[in-house]
Amino acid sequence: MRPALALRPASRGGSVDLSRGLFVLATLVLAAMVILPLGWLIVTSLSGPQGPTLDNYRTLFTDATMVRPFLITLGSSAVVAFACVLVAVPMGWCVARTDMPLRRQVRILVMASLVTPPFLGAIAWELLAAPNTGFLNQLARAVFHLDRAVHPFNVYSVAGLTFVNFLYTFPYAFIFVANALERIPADLEDASAILGARPAQTAWRVTLPLILPAILAGALIAFLQSMTVFGSAAVLTLPAGFHTMTTRIWSLFQFPPKPALAAAASMPMLLLTLGLLRAQQYVLGRKGYALVGGKGTRRAIVRLGAWKWAALAFCGVVLLNAIVLPYGALLDAAFVKVPPALPTLANLTLAHLHFVFFELDATQVALWNTMILALGAATVGTALALVVAYLVVRRAVRGWQLLSFLATAPLAIPSIVLGVGLFLAYTRPPLLLFGTLWIMLIAFVTIEFPAAYQQLASVVSSIHPELEEAGQLLGATRLRVLREITSPLMRSGVVAAWCFVFIGAIREISAAILLFTAPTRTIAVVIYDLNESGDTGSIAVLGLLLMVVTFAVLMVANRVPVVATAAEELRG
Amino acid sequence: MATLELRNLVKRFNGSAVVDGIDLTIPDGAFVCLLGPSGCGKTTLLRLVAGFIAPDAGEIVVGGTRLSAPGTVVPPERRGMSMIFQSYALWPHMTVEQNVGYGLRLRALPRDQIAARVATICAATQLDPLLHRYPAELSGGQQQRVALARALVVEPQTLLLDEPLSNLDANLREEMRFEIRRLHDEFRYTTVYVTHDQGEAMATADLIVVLRAGRVEQAGTPEEIYRRPRSEFVARFVGGANVLPGSFAGLDAPFSIRLEDVALLAAQPAVNGTPYLPGTVVRRVFLGSARDYVVEAGGELVRVTTPPHVDVLPGERVWLGFPPERCHRLEHPSAGE
Repeated sequence: MRPALALRPASRGGSVDLSRGLFVLATLVLAAMVILPLGWLIVTSLSGPQGPTLDNYRTLFTDATMVRPFLITLGSSAVVAFACVLVAVPMGWCVARTDMPLRRQVRILVMASLVTPPFLGAIAWELLAAPNTGFLNQLARAVFHLDRAVHPFNVYSVAGLTFVNFLYTFPYAFIFVANALERIPADLEDASAILGARPAQTAWRVTLPLILPAILAGALIAFLQSMTVFGSAAVLTLPAGFHTMTTRIWSLFQFPPKPALAAAASMPMLLLTLGLLRAQQYVLGRKGYALVGGKGTRRAIVRLGAWKWAALAFCGVVLLNAIVLPYGALLDAAFVKVPPALPTLANLTLAHLHFVFFELDATQVALWNTMILALGAATVGTALALVVAYLVVRRAVRGWQLLSFLATAPLAIPSIVLGVGLFLAYTRPPLLLFGTLWIMLIAFVTIEFPAAYQQLASVVSSIHPELEEAGQLLGATRLRVLREITSPLMRSGVVAAWCFVFIGAIREISAAILLFTAPTRTIAVVIYDLNESGDTGSIAVLGLLLMVVTFAVLMVANRVPVVATAAEELRG
Repeated sequence: MATLELRNLVKRFNGSAVVDGIDLTIPDGAFVCLLGPSGCGKTTLLRLVAGFIAPDAGEIVVGGTRLSAPGTVVPPERRGMSMIFQSYALWPHMTVEQNVGYGLRLRALPRDQIAARVATICAATQLDPLLHRYPAELSGGQQQRVALARALVVEPQTLLLDEPLSNLDANLREEMRFEIRRLHDEFRYTTVYVTHDQGEAMATADLIVVLRAGRVEQAGTPEEIYRRPRSEFVARFVGGANVLPGSFAGLDAPFSIRLEDVALLAAQPAVNGTPYLPGTVVRRVFLGSARDYVVEAGGELVRVTTPPHVDVLPGERVWLGFPPERCHRLEHPSAGE
């Protein structure tokens, strides 16, 4: 007996399966984004005036002006990685596992230093520790009655660069460590205690081994970041007269340009990045348990007693250097007549603000460019990431592995290397994009896309496929399921990904510095230009503007439930 | 009519056949349980029926229409089936009412009709007070009812259930299995129910299909499966049984006997009729309504369930009887490895 009310099936006629077409399209776009610049990079690095040659690579290893920057970068980055571990492990532990006061605020300030663009941090530290005018030097001279020629602090040095890079990379290590510590269920440590281990023994034999992969991963990321950073290096090394790998590559584009040598010089950085990322995956893959598993049920909080003030002081000193002093210096520079000088009623001025917004021609264009590029990159990048993440996570098409490889490949390409590649790929027919906003857009999308992809992939995989299948069985076509079930569930994740790409794009400088021309300057580029001419007041204004926009977007993202939960998790 | 026919169905993953040549005819309106241990291919079979995956060989025919064959699969949305998922798959962004009404909205029914049908089905599943709640605000059992209501409101010809009770606690599980059967009897659709729990299968099904390694091991009514298992696998998997050498009961092949069918006597029986075998109690467990013994006899360990008043201490001598009418000669002893 069929029920009298038997309803006809809801959908008739063929439903178009778009996945194949989308797959082909996405693959082509990603391939163009990744393979084109890398291909030209390799080809150019192997070519000389008389055809194919290895001369460029030979120069790399013999010319002292190429070898020295390489060694400086490796040495400085190694110190940065080491310092990051030394600071991030105790700080992460204090925040995640003790009753230290102001834990939440400490965490928020660490996040603030994470979103501070390193070139802005470097400029702020110029204000603080430039040999002659730096605040700290002036202060030291006044307190200790030193001679005018004496300068205890000199940020224009390898040590200065290492210090500044450390300040803006330790948050990566901190996040890894703090999250790992939070995810260790107290049971694991209790189990050790019940067998008779003293707290120190438990920490040494259980807790530390559990977070060791996180520590290693954090150190590797810190190393990578500090090796590939361009902004802070350019700000600090050029006055000092030495180079890092990135500034040396940049200098090869100055007159007379040597793009072939620049391409060859990009290779060691590319290979090192690839190697280190593989190493990180290996470390996390084998012993990633502390990072993956769900949130621990309960975590043991250590009572520090009077020591909690020492712990707080330690965190305070780090954050003083990373946040309080630099932002103080920038604020001061934005509003005093001749920075750097202590603000008094007499020398406060709005002249810099007026100059930046109403007199400096470059600002208007740069603001406009930055806005267009950031909006464009965020929208294009998120849309592309969404399609790719869906196809890959749902394994909707054959060949999804290829897509997933292409989507994460840009992670292994340092921005400046990508800049070189894009420069080489688009300064020749058929795609003469150099000098247009398009090339900048391609660069920004390529650089920021993988992060959006990873975020959205985790959003898609958090949506159980059965939720979609249930809709389909009730009679909805695949497209309708996407519209009515998948999209509403992903909305907040998409907004978050969009915000992250946006923030990344408004501060990008490593690739932009090789690709901009006067009409396509962005705010970051203008800041860099102004720094060369020593106009610190205007820099401070623009830098603070950049940060205001960044924090505003972050606030919006924070209002979106999924980001709020993610942030909640970060905070614990 | 919605007679469901599976003809020589094969599905391979990475070269190994997960569903390996299944032939099965499910009459219209029947309640069928696909029963088997994990990895036997029962969920794959269900997803083949639903149309989420395409077979590598064979076909699925419903009411004379071919729905699945290699290369041509009618998509799930045009099969007129409903499914209850193991995770329930309730959409977290829709209320109970919206979840249940979704299938009707897809069918472009007028608003008042949708409301009326949602109200009817929600009354039948005791959900009426919860219409405006979100899934996250419901208990496990309530979520289960929403999943049922959502599947049934579209009046499917076939209802598929994938381990629907595995996330519920024991009491609720018992209640819901009767509920699922009651709704089946009320609406008379064809039900295909996948489970690894033989108790669930016994309590609900008209027809049990025992699957093993992608093949049908035995199909029959619950009574048949229980009383006349065709292989050691079925005997052990459904209800639990001793599989003993034929010599124990004067048979020429191994046989199975249910735990409660073995007679256990504390003293040597006077009568000769049923063959009795001496043994020693190895283990004794009190289960409340019964006692569970393990007896070593004739070189085998035999499990016996007795009424609770039969009380023999471990180490004591007992006599085991195997009533011939309860001994079931296994046709496929080889299948029991």
